[in-house]
Amino acid sequence: MTQGEIVIFKDKQLGFFIYLGVETIMFATLFATYMIFTPAEKGPHPADIFEWKTLLLSSFFLLSSSGTLMMSEKGLRSGRKGLLVLGLFITLLFGMTFLGLEILEFSSYLQQGYGTSASVFFGSFYVLVGLHAAHVAFGVGWMGMLFLQLGREKHAASFEQKHRIFSYYWHFVDVIWIGIMVIVYIPYLL
Amino acid sequence: MQISMFNQTFELPSDVLAAWIFTIIAGGFVLLYVIKKKKLPLIWDYIRTTNHRKIGTLYILFGVVYFLRAGLDAVFIRLQLAFPDQSFWVFQQEKYNEVFTTHGTIMIFFSAMPILLGLMNVAVPLQIGARDLAFPFLNAVGFWLFFFGALFFNLAFFVNQAPSIGWTGYAPYSLNEYTPGVSTDYYVFGIQLSGLGTIFTALNLIVTIFRHRAPGMKLTRMPLFTWASLITSYLILIAFSVLAVALYLLMFDRLFGTAFFSGSEGDPVYWQHLFWIFGHPEVYILALPAFGIFSDIIPTFSSKRIFGYPTMVVSLALIGFLGFTVWAHHMFTVGLGPMANTFFALTTMTIAVPTGIKVFNWLFTIRGGLLRMTAPMLFALGFIPSFVMGGVTGVMLSVSAADFQFHDSHFVVAHFHYVIIASTIFGIFGGIYYWYPKITGYRLNEKLGKWHFWLFLIGFHLTFLPMHISGLQGMPRRVYTYGADEGLTGLNFTSTIGAFVMGAAVSIFLWNIVITHRRGVTVGADPWNGRTLEWTVDSPSPEHSFDPMPVVDQMDPFWYAKQEKRQLAICANPRPAPPDEQSMIPISMGLSLFVLAAALTYSLYWLAIAGGVGIFVLMAIRSWTDRTIIEEEEEA
Repeated sequence: MTQGEIVIFKDKQLGFFIYLGVETIMFATLFATYMIFTPAEKGPHPADIFEWKTLLLSSFFLLSSSGTLMMSEKGLRSGRKGLLVLGLFITLLFGMTFLGLEILEFSSYLQQGYGTSASVFFGSFYVLVGLHAAHVAFGVGWMGMLFLQLGREKHAASFEQKHRIFSYYWHFVDVIWIGIMVIVYIPYLL
Repeated sequence: MQISMFNQTFELPSDVLAAWIFTIIAGGFVLLYVIKKKKLPLIWDYIRTTNHRKIGTLYILFGVVYFLRAGLDAVFIRLQLAFPDQSFWVFQQEKYNEVFTTHGTIMIFFSAMPILLGLMNVAVPLQIGARDLAFPFLNAVGFWLFFFGALFFNLAFFVNQAPSIGWTGYAPYSLNEYTPGVSTDYYVFGIQLSGLGTIFTALNLIVTIFRHRAPGMKLTRMPLFTWASLITSYLILIAFSVLAVALYLLMFDRLFGTAFFSGSEGDPVYWQHLFWIFGHPEVYILALPAFGIFSDIIPTFSSKRIFGYPTMVVSLALIGFLGFTVWAHHMFTVGLGPMANTFFALTTMTIAVPTGIKVFNWLFTIRGGLLRMTAPMLFALGFIPSFVMGGVTGVMLSVSAADFQFHDSHFVVAHFHYVIIASTIFGIFGGIYYWYPKITGYRLNEKLGKWHFWLFLIGFHLTFLPMHISGLQGMPRRVYTYGADEGLTGLNFTSTIGAFVMGAAVSIFLWNIVITHRRGVTVGADPWNGRTLEWTVDSPSPEHSFDPMPVVDQMDPFWYAKQEKRQLAICANPRPAPPDEQSMIPISMGLSLFVLAAALTYSLYWLAIAGGVGIFVLMAIRSWTDRTIIEEEEEA
């Protein structure tokens, strides 16, 4: 990046960090909602429906995708395009696997008859974990865009910026998942 | 009146019919004017613009339009309450609920907020020597989200589905059980859209203020309006994020079967908490920018530096911080218990301290100054005593034991109109008179401006002063009539007269705009003998401002340069300006979300998917066409 581009990029960096701050407040409010309404008076207890297996599997894919994205970032910084592409590709795969696991989990609850209206616990579960899953889906789409823009040599500096901003987003989404593990699942699995 | 269409019968009350007729006729005249004066290219330019002054102008323009609409609602409320046991037109019972709901919601979300954001858009970059907001494109997106959110909310009335849940949208009344139609959905989505736009604009302002100041413009040299905008932006980030989630949950309750706010499983009081965690900071979001405007107007027209600049900044920050610790004073009667009530009573009283500091600093700025009684200055001077009256009743209300008497009475109505009108609306009028030359190149007529001020001030006190008494005598808010034997007739009739006086004042303001533009006498860069950087650039501010970039060496740099008869120093290589562009994407994004909102309201899920796909496609197009490479630098 040229000197001027770095200055403009730092604007974007600050702007995006503030945006992530906004998202943090939104998720914090949803976490509070979950804690207030769980467990609900009626309907199943979360301990009866959550499973370690599902949680560990989806956490494995999502959390390690942060590591593979770091690999890609390293490739970006050191100019090794192969590493960049490989890291991003594995991140994409892991993100999609996570989404698939989420869909399986949600649909198993739905098959047992537990939709959004089953209880306030399920409602607060879906609005929180569902919003997180939507963020992962958005990130998967974003990675798709990054792949499309990979070959545009003219916009090399622009690609670097997009890649870096995306990394902030993806790591943030992972941190939210850690919050979900700790607050939503683990208290009812122990 | 009933109308049959598409094999369905629609109920069309006469007020809705009148609104349709009025809108069609007025729309026709506007269209005629646009075609006759060949204004279409201008409109086309504004649709695609990302320039801060133009977006600011759009914010103010539509804010004023909605101000008139909500003002008309207020007139209907006052006409209905003018006499005991009155039946004015259709505004009883459900219609009365609708009219006070739209009055409050539009005034706060679609009038006061956008006009303040508009003034920030115009003035903040010019005050700190920035060439635009940090993200001009995002600024346009924010505006169009407001535009379509406001449009969506206002359309509800035209299909006779105006929300009737109060601007606070209290559950469980706002749930399907009690408002099963689509009316509340208009409230949910209208505010959600414009609220997201507000968050983006606040983010934008923070980055602009932190990273785009002119060389030498330290934080401690910034004009107080910019300081107020900065702190307000922080409040917006927190408060509007909570509101966004509250509306998100309400949407799930209404459309997707959850029960967060229901009485059976969930908790209606949880809505109140979320709403007021947003709602009380919102009061300061409205007031702090107005404080900032006055803090710039008063030194300018007193020809004196602001008194106690550091305490002004600290008190702004303190008010902002304390604003998040007082929300439950709106809920004293809910039954949170004496401990909670005491805590929130004390924090509420504490806010009077930094606010008092500000009032004294304004007075000390005026003291011994060389005063010029211009229209903006009059609004600033009218603000101080009027606002203090609202502040005093605020301290009364903070006494939680006494609040059980005041709660939901006209005393509360008097209180919040005293604080919001005296600060925000006076601030808006003062700010518009003050920065009008920077926006348009014309200065509004001073004589009419003074008429506007005096009539508005008198009308305002005439309307709301009697409400203190009628409230203490037991008149509840949000009730559409009262008995002849309750001793409230004279007080209410006085309030109604006051409302008409305010209406006359606003008409003079509109007339002032018309004749100012008709006369078309332009003024120079510095019509008020100003102190801050915005008066160094041309009026109206050019698209490429601050060329060359000035260097700031102290507070009020322009004033001291003029005093010492010197030019501001110039910086040869300032930081790169934000990218300047024109784009159709922001308005298209707003439109997509509008479609999404309408589709969800009417459960047309195929259309909702279309709207959702639309927004993602537009993001992808933006990502593909975005140019971050700075062309000039590559050449150099």
